[in-house]
Amino acid sequence: MTNIKEIKNDLLKDSYFEIDHQSGFKIFVYPKENYSSSYAVFGTKYGSIDTCFKLQGNEKFTEVPEGIAHFLEHKLFESEELDAFARYAKTGASANAYTSFDKTCYLFSCTDNFEDSLEILLDFVSNPYFTEQTVQKEQGIIGQEIRMYEDEPGWESLFVLLRAMYHEHPVRIDIAGTVESISHITADLLYECYNTFYNPANMALAVAGNVTVEQVLKIADKMLKPKESKEIERKFCKEPANVVENFAMKNLSVAMPIFAIGFKEDIKTPLRTLKESMESNILLDIIAGPTSSLYEEMLNDNLINTTFDTEYFEGYGYSAHIFNGESADYEKVRERINQEITKLMETGVDEESFQRIKKKHYGSLIMDFDSVDSISNSLIGAYFNGEGLFDQLKLLESITIEDVNRRLKDAFNIENSSMSVIKNKEEK
Amino acid sequence: MNKKSYAEVSKGVKLLCVNSDKFKTNCIKVDFYLPISEYFPAQNVLASFMGHTSKNYSSVKAFNSKVEGMYDACFDTTVSTIGEKVRIRFSMEILDDKFSIDENSISEEAVDFLIDILENPNATENGFDEGFTAREIRFTLENLEAMKNDKRAYAVSRLRELMCKDEPYGIDNKKLEEGVRNLDSKQLLDAYNNMLQTATVVITACGSINGKMITEKFKAFADKIENRSPAILETIFVTKADEIKYFKEEMDVNQAKLVIGLRAGMEDANDNYFAYRVMTDIFGGGPYSRLFLNVREKMSLCYYCGARLIREKGIILIQSGIEEENYEKALSEILNQLDIMKKGEFTDEDLNSSIIALCDAFKGVEDSPVAVCNFYSSQEFDEEIVSGEEFAKRIGAVTREQVIECANRVTVDTVYLLKGEDENND
Repeated sequence: MTNIKEIKNDLLKDSYFEIDHQSGFKIFVYPKENYSSSYAVFGTKYGSIDTCFKLQGNEKFTEVPEGIAHFLEHKLFESEELDAFARYAKTGASANAYTSFDKTCYLFSCTDNFEDSLEILLDFVSNPYFTEQTVQKEQGIIGQEIRMYEDEPGWESLFVLLRAMYHEHPVRIDIAGTVESISHITADLLYECYNTFYNPANMALAVAGNVTVEQVLKIADKMLKPKESKEIERKFCKEPANVVENFAMKNLSVAMPIFAIGFKEDIKTPLRTLKESMESNILLDIIAGPTSSLYEEMLNDNLINTTFDTEYFEGYGYSAHIFNGESADYEKVRERINQEITKLMETGVDEESFQRIKKKHYGSLIMDFDSVDSISNSLIGAYFNGEGLFDQLKLLESITIEDVNRRLKDAFNIENSSMSVIKNKEEK
Repeated sequence: MNKKSYAEVSKGVKLLCVNSDKFKTNCIKVDFYLPISEYFPAQNVLASFMGHTSKNYSSVKAFNSKVEGMYDACFDTTVSTIGEKVRIRFSMEILDDKFSIDENSISEEAVDFLIDILENPNATENGFDEGFTAREIRFTLENLEAMKNDKRAYAVSRLRELMCKDEPYGIDNKKLEEGVRNLDSKQLLDAYNNMLQTATVVITACGSINGKMITEKFKAFADKIENRSPAILETIFVTKADEIKYFKEEMDVNQAKLVIGLRAGMEDANDNYFAYRVMTDIFGGGPYSRLFLNVREKMSLCYYCGARLIREKGIILIQSGIEEENYEKALSEILNQLDIMKKGEFTDEDLNSSIIALCDAFKGVEDSPVAVCNFYSSQEFDEEIVSGEEFAKRIGAVTREQVIECANRVTVDTVYLLKGEDENND
């Protein structure tokens, strides 16, 4: 039996459909009136942090090489006959995929032949085909992808920071693994990961744009066969509250040192609530956003430039508030940020800043609903976190200045912070 | 769909408003087009300056609070070169008026803000504000230097410099940095006045925004500028490379970056554009392209290998990231694939895949206000302005013979490799 529920939002005057499909898969359809294009994402809650797991009922945990989720993403495009890209070439859709810390998503966008493209998407993700020979071929390509990232200082600075903050949690490993780790990947291991994580209970399909529920169901009914939903147990070693080291550095050729400062949150449960992450984003804007006094002071004192940015970084078992940018005097930047946080902990956040930032977040939340790719990806992300797509809009109003002040005290501890710096070899 | 065109609202100031009520945002882009000239270093600083401070919002906090206060408007200023035209762009993405919490019109406030920024820079009659000038010179220099952080972009910019060193397009980055370093606040004011007086201004808006309101406000703004005389905008098209130039440079990189510059053989930006577009796409566009299927998939030499057409200059750029030891192998396969294009040995499937993918993409171009603005504003200097649908039709009409003809007009100009430093030099 397929169940369909419509979820409306009065402010946006939009609605989407949440479908419990007979196959066991969750499907979301967000029609956009007068749009020509559509965007579909088929995702699994399986990312680079899932390195040790077992199916419920099995005795032993399986430990797999770093980077295997990403490797699997690459290999799934292949099949015994035509690979997925060759099939999409006949429909005209633009297809891609990505692997993050906690999910793998396969997607396409198109204006014509939507149904044919959706059929390809559901088909190739449901039918793995790996051989030792094709695995070997991919090691060369992914090896070059890894080497490409090694030349991107912003990316490197994030991972140097994560390794400085986390002792055990696999968020500290590179999403694509290393040239060495992927050399241990075999076809059998890929099948084992696939059979564990690619099952209805762990996956969802989201489509937005010029589509109807009927169109999506027509293809889903044909392509998605009932499959056993499996319960997965993920093993995470206990992560201490403190950081590995307060400071870490790596040499790469850069014009000016690139830094990232992370405040590791001591978490008692693996996941933050949606409200907590919204509070965190408001807080980061208040502490060092473009309208904060700290931001202006640091610009005027030649400590930062306009690349300075903040990010709330969280997922299963990790949570950190990150400040990053370029600076010749990164130690001073760190000192200023620490001072500001200490000050705000004492005085609390001021009402005017709080209201201004809330209005900003109201605007940016709504603005995201123009884009079919942002809608589809957010639908998947929200579902995997146990949330609804419109929850943020509803929650924003309820967030108070007291909430934000409490979050500041809960989530920030200067003792548990790290700084990563990427700089030139010559600079000592 | 009605045929669209830019209306001249004042001398050399053209405006197009694409109305649609399907969006939750509006987008406005104000583009000032100028020739590449001695003002270029100052123009780089000018865009940054005007994006961070103005007479009425001089401090960072005041300026950013105004922007954030418009429900997190995305306001941005950029400088780029489109062929041999400099484009100074002021762009804004804003929430639609229907979501305003009070009765205020967000779009009108945004247009007023844009015009205020343009009319009232943080300057006196003697020059731009000294303190902010120094700060903005620092930002611009750091930004130019930071190009080295992005090794792929750096390699492309070096190729451009080397390949086009005798054309205005081959911007010498060292000279540019030098020019920026030596600027003063008076020169910034000169560059500002030069921009207002000599630029061709192209304004594009999309959303439910009131076209009459924008037209009236920008007309009033432009009519006030004295002695406006838009400069002639031309780009040199070199149609043929006489011989292949090879360059290898060293940097502290892990992976070598290969960039190849081709002369497309176009006489101008409208010369067989649609056929060139299809040809470049079959050669190195999507995952169905010859470069992707052979250099990446068959030979496992790289993660990325693609080609793109720079229409406004008649150049095709090929980019790939490889191990240095595979340089000869990759280069020879890329050139082999170009040869296959010239001989017409690509399949009908290659041609169809490319046409169907390009058509699909262009038909969807009107699904975001930003994409609409970018799509139409990029056509302002073309023979005529066509919709996404019409664009797709013209791509669809391209024949195999036209593609082969275009490929045969292509010549290899410059091969550039950015490679790791020799171990012995450490």
